[in-house]
Amino acid sequence: MSNGGQLQLVIVTPETTLVDEPVESLRFPLYDGQIGVFPGRAPLVGRLGYGELKATGSSGTISYFVDGGFVQVKGSVVSILTGRSVPTDQIDAGQAEEQLAEASSRVPTIEADFDAKSRDQERARRLLALARKPR
Amino acid sequence: MAKARAIVKRLKAVKNIRKITRTMELIATARFKKAMDRATEAAAYTRKISEIVADLSQANLSIKHPLLQQHDSQESSCLLVLTSNRGLCGGYNSGVLRHAMARIAEARQADEKLSLEVSGKRGLAFLKFQGESVDQQYTHFEEKPTFEEVEELADRYITDYCANRLDRLEVAYTKFESSSRQTAVRETLLPIGELTSDDQSDASGESAPERQVDYEFLPSAEAILEEIVPAAFKARLFKCFLDAAVSEQIARMVAMKGATENADEMIRTLSRQYNRARQTQITSELSEIIGGVAALE
Repeated sequence: MSNGGQLQLVIVTPETTLVDEPVESLRFPLYDGQIGVFPGRAPLVGRLGYGELKATGSSGTISYFVDGGFVQVKGSVVSILTGRSVPTDQIDAGQAEEQLAEASSRVPTIEADFDAKSRDQERARRLLALARKPR
Repeated sequence: MAKARAIVKRLKAVKNIRKITRTMELIATARFKKAMDRATEAAAYTRKISEIVADLSQANLSIKHPLLQQHDSQESSCLLVLTSNRGLCGGYNSGVLRHAMARIAEARQADEKLSLEVSGKRGLAFLKFQGESVDQQYTHFEEKPTFEEVEELADRYITDYCANRLDRLEVAYTKFESSSRQTAVRETLLPIGELTSDDQSDASGESAPERQVDYEFLPSAEAILEEIVPAAFKARLFKCFLDAAVSEQIARMVAMKGATENADEMIRTLSRQYNRARQTQITSELSEIIGGVAALE
């Protein structure tokens, strides 16, 4: 199934195709934790979480923040469908902090609001952690 | 002399207008190319989503999602009308607004509560003139609608629909079929009828010869489906906005091309008229002189 130990990483957002290049391995967050993908992985459809996507290729490492969505592994093609995605070095820490503060200050009253609050908090924390990570 | 002068004045005005329409045509062409690029890039996402949906349907599960279910009552509907902020684009706005007015009349006859949401100054002005009350208005969608802005709307529709505050969402916009064909349409976006409608024919055409792939679903096919339905809806709504933006530029391009051609024709007739007037004037001046000389002899 795999073509000579290479994976094709495709990151698609509703606006554009961000990345479309061959990589050797990658790792990204699923809804409940990290997953690593190497060439020859069995087909997979999964829900993404929030966090860093890291891929190692011939041209070095690529690092992106992914904001939920889906992943499809089919043959040697890994498609990441996400609402928003930014290269890690372009994350705005200040904005992430603001988002976290905003989410934390919410006072939820119904179940759905509680879920939304914890989800937004989680997302902002991951974003912030990634922005502050020393490189 | 007076006639020739007047024609020169008109000729100058027409030449100026031609310059303007020609420039607008060029600008619209450039914008159309950009908008078109965005639309083609965005198509990848929709294609992938329907691919995953097709994969999910292999898992033999009954598709149940609040967004797919039709509500029993059809009391509160919403009509989103996508028009342009600027004019001079031919029949672009009137086509969409004709659909909108038909729907409004329909709702009035059936005594149905229809909330009207309009994007674009042109549509707003028209509906204000018609005396229709607009519930929500947006003027910030220009030729480059971003997903973030559209998502905001989509999220509101999703919550309203799930909370039974909204029974039906329709969008009146100009659908982009090809670069030479765009039609104003009214589409029902909620409830979602078919999850894999438009691109299904292409997708199945491509994937038919492939053998079926056994996927591992994480966490489960149901959970993914639950997430993918809103994503598909958002992508679809975003596509409406992109289509509208592309169609607007095409409409303007075509309209301005027509205007430039008309101006060219007018310039031709006017310069012919001017030449004739000038010649008449010269002839009459000459005959006056000759007449004067003859009188002196």
